Amino acid sequence: MAGGPAKFWLVRIGSIALAVAACLLLESFAKGQSSFVQRLMLLAGLYVTLAVSLNLINGITGQFSIGHAAFYQVGAYTSGFLAAQMYAKSGLVGAPWLVVVMLAGALAACLAGLLVGLPSLRLRGDYLAIVTLGFGEIIRIVVQNQQQLGGAYGMNVRPLIQNVAVVWLLAILCIAVCRNLLKTAQGLRFLAVREDEIASSAMGVNVTRIKVTAFVIGSAFAGAAGALLAHFEGFVSPAMFTMDLSFIILTMVVLGGTGSITGSALAAVVLFYLPEKMRDLPNIPMANVIAGLISTVVAVAIVKRAVDTVHDRKARIPRYALAAGASLLTFFALGLILSKAPGVSVAPSIEGAKLRLVVFAITLVVLMLLRPQGVFAHHEFSWSWVNKMLGKKDVPQTEVAA
Amino acid sequence: MTLPLHLVAGLEMATLPQQVANGILLGSIYALIALGYTMVYGVLKLINFAHGEVFMLGAYSALFASWWLGYTPNNALSGSSPLNLFLMLGFSMFACSVVGVVIERFAYRPMRSQPRIASLITAIGLSLLLQYGGQLFLPSAPAPNIDSKVNPYQGNVEIPLKPKDGAFVAKAEESAKLATVSKEAFDTYIKTSGRDPFNLDNEGLALRNASQEKEREAKALLDKASDSGLSISLPKGQLIMFFTTLVLMAILRYIVLYTRRGRAMRAVSHDFDSAALMGINVNSIVTFTFILGSALAGAGAMMNATFLSGTKIDTFFGMLPGVKAFVAAVLGGIGNIPGAVLGGLLMGVAETLVVWAGYDAYRDAVAFVILIVVLLFRPGGLLGSAKVEKV
Repeated sequence: MAGGPAKFWLVRIGSIALAVAACLLLESFAKGQSSFVQRLMLLAGLYVTLAVSLNLINGITGQFSIGHAAFYQVGAYTSGFLAAQMYAKSGLVGAPWLVVVMLAGALAACLAGLLVGLPSLRLRGDYLAIVTLGFGEIIRIVVQNQQQLGGAYGMNVRPLIQNVAVVWLLAILCIAVCRNLLKTAQGLRFLAVREDEIASSAMGVNVTRIKVTAFVIGSAFAGAAGALLAHFEGFVSPAMFTMDLSFIILTMVVLGGTGSITGSALAAVVLFYLPEKMRDLPNIPMANVIAGLISTVVAVAIVKRAVDTVHDRKARIPRYALAAGASLLTFFALGLILSKAPGVSVAPSIEGAKLRLVVFAITLVVLMLLRPQGVFAHHEFSWSWVNKMLGKKDVPQTEVAA
Repeated sequence: MTLPLHLVAGLEMATLPQQVANGILLGSIYALIALGYTMVYGVLKLINFAHGEVFMLGAYSALFASWWLGYTPNNALSGSSPLNLFLMLGFSMFACSVVGVVIERFAYRPMRSQPRIASLITAIGLSLLLQYGGQLFLPSAPAPNIDSKVNPYQGNVEIPLKPKDGAFVAKAEESAKLATVSKEAFDTYIKTSGRDPFNLDNEGLALRNASQEKEREAKALLDKASDSGLSISLPKGQLIMFFTTLVLMAILRYIVLYTRRGRAMRAVSHDFDSAALMGINVNSIVTFTFILGSALAGAGAMMNATFLSGTKIDTFFGMLPGVKAFVAAVLGGIGNIPGAVLGGLLMGVAETLVVWAGYDAYRDAVAFVILIVVLLFRPGGLLGSAKVEKV
């Protein structure tokens, strides 16, 4: 990089100041909004943290963990327990207290991550996936049977603190840690483990140590996010941390592109916001639901064929148009026919909220069929990329991600 | 002579054989599902996460078949016949095979050239899609076993393990006779004196007390006699279920070991690419594997819904049995067919024993604990060869 140490520190301090300022701005913006919008902003920040931290494990280090909700839960319960025991005595209020519980949640999740990671990271691929899933469920069931933690009913967490700035600072911290990690020699080891475990271990990389480190860092961020969740929901229960949540986080990482921090963060916001929006949908007639599913299948079939047979990307565009047209046509024609069909027309219409997880499932399957590497693949957002898009001359920069 | 089975460490040891038997019956269902996991893993090296959902659809097929046969919740038929059960079983197996083939053809086959993780994510997505998408179309309904008339095999079968002590039995019989005699004496007294049984004179009270005393004595002796023996009682329906499972497994064993297709299946499982080079139509073998595995899951689902106690069928019906069966497959050694059966039976027994030991809150967690212990200490499973990739 050009410039001396002065510029180096200027950039660093400048970015930190910028991040803090942006978060405070966000906070002041949130103050004027309804509590629903505030909730959305808080949850979106937490999902970004969760997705980016899982991306460190699944994308950057190439392991396959599907039990991330468990660490989120450990953080949430730790902070809830701590608040019940210590809040009155601590004398802290607001953001400082949040920082304390965040650190506690992160530490607890760290330990849980170490406990889970040390034995299970010897396994690879689908076996690791199953073991992390199993540990996730065990943690949930154990918590569910602790009466002092409220059992299956959960427990209330006081005080209620809704601080958008802290939530988004955590998200930015998580992104910064992952991004900067990739710029270090240590970070290259993570990538090496992802690309080829045997080769990297032959090059002197302590593979187990790298994997456990990634797992522990990822868990710690999830735990910190959980601590914040407990304090703005005011309530935690085991039902909030089921396998479904792990799958939702996984979908975000996969959609964004396993390995891409940018992708994970953006996918987290989009995949969190769209289904939230679906709660507001009016009830959808059964005919439209069926027509929608079938037209999705039609579109996917045409696009899949285009992806498989046409190699020139520009030449695929007419196929995409065809897919869009055909699926729209199918949707309206089928909708019209089915709304008259005897069995379907009397079927009860379906609430939009019920479709939320269906959308996640369809996203996962369609994505795997059409673009298994995710939207962003391994690419990251960078200024040189923006310049290229704007037609400016490429500014040379050290490229890290392959 | 009394049995040495007393309360050991707070557990009622005398009920242990009964619990083990219940566990084996439950485990036979896990074994049926586990076979599907293990065979698909054998040929494709893919954990078919959606297998539990195939099981769920099998339960729904059995439910719909029972409705078509007339057993709607509001329409109580007078009885059932084995033929009806057989029709339900057949329909369920057929429907599941179709679902399995469709899943393989349209979701897994396009993923075959991709890395294994991509297939795994597809499988997770499919499983979620069937659970939540199914919720839009499928009702949540009471299982056919609630309407007991679907199942013609009511009642229990007693299997004596140790005969009762003859001396106790004789004593109990004698005492029962005495009790009857004194009861009769009391009854005749009521009849002849014409008194109200709630308003007795001294003679009546004495007779009644004597009769009750004798009855208590007889009951205590009878308990003692039955305690001296040991027997387990199993529902007839579940025994039928167990034997059907055995027959299906025998058929599977025959297909895999003694038919041409079975040999091709083993070849594909051994080495996918070489099998293709040797002229085996790999796609058709994979489809065949999915048909076999899904049909077994369908049979398991039908029998689970009809013979095992359960409350209702919803789209999450297959999730826990699916996970437990997967653990069973890993426990036995994934890819290994006898291993899946052994693992399934062990899982069933482990689950009932955990409940028996008083930890029923952990009955679902025990599967994961077993899974983790197996993967960490014997990744190849009990019967499998240890060729799991390790660093």
